[in-house]
Amino acid sequence: MTATDISHRSRFLAQGNVYLPHLAVIKKIVDETGDTKTFHLNFKDDKLQGEFTFNSGQFALFSVFGIGEAPFVISSSPTRSDHLEITVRRVGRVTNALHRLGVNAEVGFRGPYGNGFPLDLLSGKNLVFIAGGIGLSPLRSLIWNVIDNRDKYENIDIIYGVRTPADLCLKYDLESWNKDKTLDMVTTVDEGDESWIGRVGVVPAILEQVAPSAKNAVAIVCGPPIMIRFTFPVLEKLGFAPEQMLTTLEKRMKCGIGKCGRCNIGNLYVCRDGPVFTYAQIKQFISSEY
Amino acid sequence: MPRTSSGKKVTNKTVNKKDIAQLLNQWRQEFAVLVPSLATGVARLASWDGTDTSFMDWYRNTVIPPKANLLPPVEEMFSFHKDGEGYHIELPPSDGHQQLIFGIRPCDAKALAILDMTFKDIYEDPYYLSKRSNTILVGLGCTNPYDSCFCTSLGSSPTDSTDVDLMLTDIGARFLVEEITDKGKELMANISLAEEATEADEARAQAAREAAYNKVTRQLDTTDIGQKLLVNFDNQDYWEKIAAKCISCGICTFFCPTCYCFDINDELVKNRGERFRSWDSCAFPLYTKMPMENPRLEKWRRVRQKVCHKYEFYPIDFKVVACTGCGRCIRLCPVNWDITQALANLPAKVRA
Repeated sequence: MTATDISHRSRFLAQGNVYLPHLAVIKKIVDETGDTKTFHLNFKDDKLQGEFTFNSGQFALFSVFGIGEAPFVISSSPTRSDHLEITVRRVGRVTNALHRLGVNAEVGFRGPYGNGFPLDLLSGKNLVFIAGGIGLSPLRSLIWNVIDNRDKYENIDIIYGVRTPADLCLKYDLESWNKDKTLDMVTTVDEGDESWIGRVGVVPAILEQVAPSAKNAVAIVCGPPIMIRFTFPVLEKLGFAPEQMLTTLEKRMKCGIGKCGRCNIGNLYVCRDGPVFTYAQIKQFISSEY
Repeated sequence: MPRTSSGKKVTNKTVNKKDIAQLLNQWRQEFAVLVPSLATGVARLASWDGTDTSFMDWYRNTVIPPKANLLPPVEEMFSFHKDGEGYHIELPPSDGHQQLIFGIRPCDAKALAILDMTFKDIYEDPYYLSKRSNTILVGLGCTNPYDSCFCTSLGSSPTDSTDVDLMLTDIGARFLVEEITDKGKELMANISLAEEATEADEARAQAAREAAYNKVTRQLDTTDIGQKLLVNFDNQDYWEKIAAKCISCGICTFFCPTCYCFDINDELVKNRGERFRSWDSCAFPLYTKMPMENPRLEKWRRVRQKVCHKYEFYPIDFKVVACTGCGRCIRLCPVNWDITQALANLPAKVRA
């Protein structure tokens, strides 16, 4: 489960230059939480919109012109490809600038980059999705992809945790997954309130309670680094081998294509070799580099 | 031992040192000629003025490495402006001129070959590679390496001609000239002031190579270095110890001929904006800072990254150590940090 085939990757270069962005237009903005929005985007160029393809789990560099670029995993599924979606939490310079944009604003887009999830290796498996906070967004593309190809996969578990009920992202997705009889979903909060009727507890603890079987299973983990670090040991305790644990990592990133240097974890670059890794690939370094 | 350029029997040439200005002028008809220069107060490659060849007296190596001429410290990537139809993106005009770097040292030529690997990897970097393909390298073997040089520990030598187009070796009043590549051969095609090298010239060149080789006394044992670094990755004691005096100034990376890390930023001037890239350094905590996290906030983690990137990670990716032993990081460090010493103290096995 290393980098997928990258031979297709040069198809969407603007003017043959990998650093030049395509233009995309914001078509819709959805407020998720107080500090998180989902943007629906279309390429300005209709031809590109028609030709564009990507894999679930791939990311792109989005730019607000004059402010700069930041990487986001495309959170919509290629199985529903009339537009692209990204879910953005307002935390830094570029994300704040994105949040200030309105519908019809133009942004830059370079990508798709990275490997994405290894669909062929996931097919026929029990899938355990484990997400924390906005970490649900990078898994969302795969979750919808899997639901849209439901017969290719066995059992699906989703464990999603946030700090408080107000931090729940993508509630409309959570609702439809909750109703979906073909999958099992557990939501949890670190701290509940009077209206909260779900579980209370941090993701690794809830994972231990839910205790999904490791047999013929792959766990797919995304969340803040602290959650990722504490989740892997629980999965190991449940019998998951390092090769059965996938994660998608985030690091500070500038180029997105393995040149600017900063997003490495050991000899692997999150942009070039990831962002999807098996725990086996990064185990050596994750304790002190992530 | 010193290398010869190729196994094949070729006739080398010689050029009289006093004819160098004439030679450079002839090349200047076709190329932008860069030579070692002190014009800015710091030794670097700069456009040749047409007369000054004093670098032949003072030049040991430049402070600013030749990478600066291919990966400039600051470089415009494109500009953009907005009108009623939205944003428009424009590439900077490409001059496409051919540049000839005269006097590049073997360590720095090798460094460019190392940089090529990253900039060609998966996606081609058009800015670096277009300059690179328009650059001709005329190497000049070292006769007087610094005490901080250790190229011979990295499989090279002060007169190594592997990565240049044309190689010059000092043989007294003349330079021995070896045509290493077809580009190098073309460079010498119409140079009437060149003479055929005699057997005595070749013997003098060989003696010069050996003398230069033996002048490099600093050693770095690179045996199993990647493996040793791997087992010491979590040896925090070691990293804290070797990082202790580092002041995170970034000089060792900016002046390293193989360091290539860069930042990308936007700048707005009135209605026009520019996206540019600029040198960055793993020595700086901001380099990896994310809004909520920073995996290399502590200095020892950053020093570890620098060392491991060069001696452990780059060899995994590209089968070559990303260090040429040029010694700049030792010479230019304000607190005398010394990579050869740091690695010499690397435990072969981690204590249990």
